[in-house]
Amino acid sequence: MDEAMEKRLPKPEELNAMTKESLAAAFAGESQAAEKYLVWADQADEEGYPNVAKLFRAISFAETRHARNHLRVMGGIGSTADNLAAAFGGESFEVDEMYPAYHGIAKLQGNNQAVRSINYALKSEVDHKGQYTDAREQVLAGKDIADQPVSVCLVCGHTVIGDVPDKCPYCAAGKELYRSF
Amino acid sequence: MAEPFKNTPPAPEAKGDMTAANIAAALAGESQASQKYLAFADVADAEGYPNVARLFRAVAYAESTHARNHLSVLGGIGTTAENLKAAWGGETFEIDEMYPAYDAVAKLQENESAQVSIRYALKAEMDHQGIYDTTLKGVEGEKDLDTTPVYVCPVCGHTVVGDKAPAYCTQCGTTSEFFKEF
Repeated sequence: MDEAMEKRLPKPEELNAMTKESLAAAFAGESQAAEKYLVWADQADEEGYPNVAKLFRAISFAETRHARNHLRVMGGIGSTADNLAAAFGGESFEVDEMYPAYHGIAKLQGNNQAVRSINYALKSEVDHKGQYTDAREQVLAGKDIADQPVSVCLVCGHTVIGDVPDKCPYCAAGKELYRSF
Repeated sequence: MAEPFKNTPPAPEAKGDMTAANIAAALAGESQASQKYLAFADVADAEGYPNVARLFRAVAYAESTHARNHLSVLGGIGTTAENLKAAWGGETFEIDEMYPAYDAVAKLQENESAQVSIRYALKAEMDHQGIYDTTLKGVEGEKDLDTTPVYVCPVCGHTVVGDKAPAYCTQCGTTSEFFKEF
């Protein structure tokens, strides 16, 4: 990042417990606002309001700046090796604890759409867990991962490195519904 | 169970209270994961790992698709007019309640960086509240905004609708060339 910009960013600091709690809640709020605005941008496009859509995308970006600032102050941005370990930890919690528990409850309550949304997420978090493990091994050896496209199913989030399958293995979406990075 | 596997996001449904709470928690989790990965991607770029950066950005996008699915199940995707009202409501809560309260705590505890981060956000949310208000009035009359660009300060999130970015960010001093244009 440019130095002129860097020096204006709030820096990590030793936080008191209540301030830390506040910033963690603010981080959660900003993150959700950023995601909601992206979804609402797509809705505005569909309804024929392209400039409202653009506004939602711009403000979503503003909220991502706030989320990043809060995360930075909390010391949540480390080296890439640390970040990969944290990312792996988050995915593991979702795969091993969170989504199986939520899935069990949604099934019990007969909420089929919730079950579907949970299944989509749970399956792709398993992809991510593996990909982060491999990436961390490379980075710990001082190496980048291979230069290959990473593609994501825009329906369910299935994430694949390399060739895109003809059909998404999780939700059966066609190849054309993948976005490649 | 063949039926659910269609190329559409999961639909809103009447839910048990526990399931509703869980899906809301999952929306919060996915949204935060997405934001963390975007920040981690920038670090990976700075450290010379462009392909790890790409992985982080792709996975951030995957988490966004999960967030969107959960939001859909929660019934959180309305018409644009409804969405603008909800957006205005969220910004208003942050301005009137959340950030002033957090700012007071951070001040009391003398956590300086936290105050900066809170102040940057609070000021930008005021921009957003005003812009959403004007936009909603247009959309209620079925009018889109005009094509004027929107500029966002990459440091503090200051948001301006106008023909060009301000020379300096009025909130944090960042110069115009760093503003992101939409």
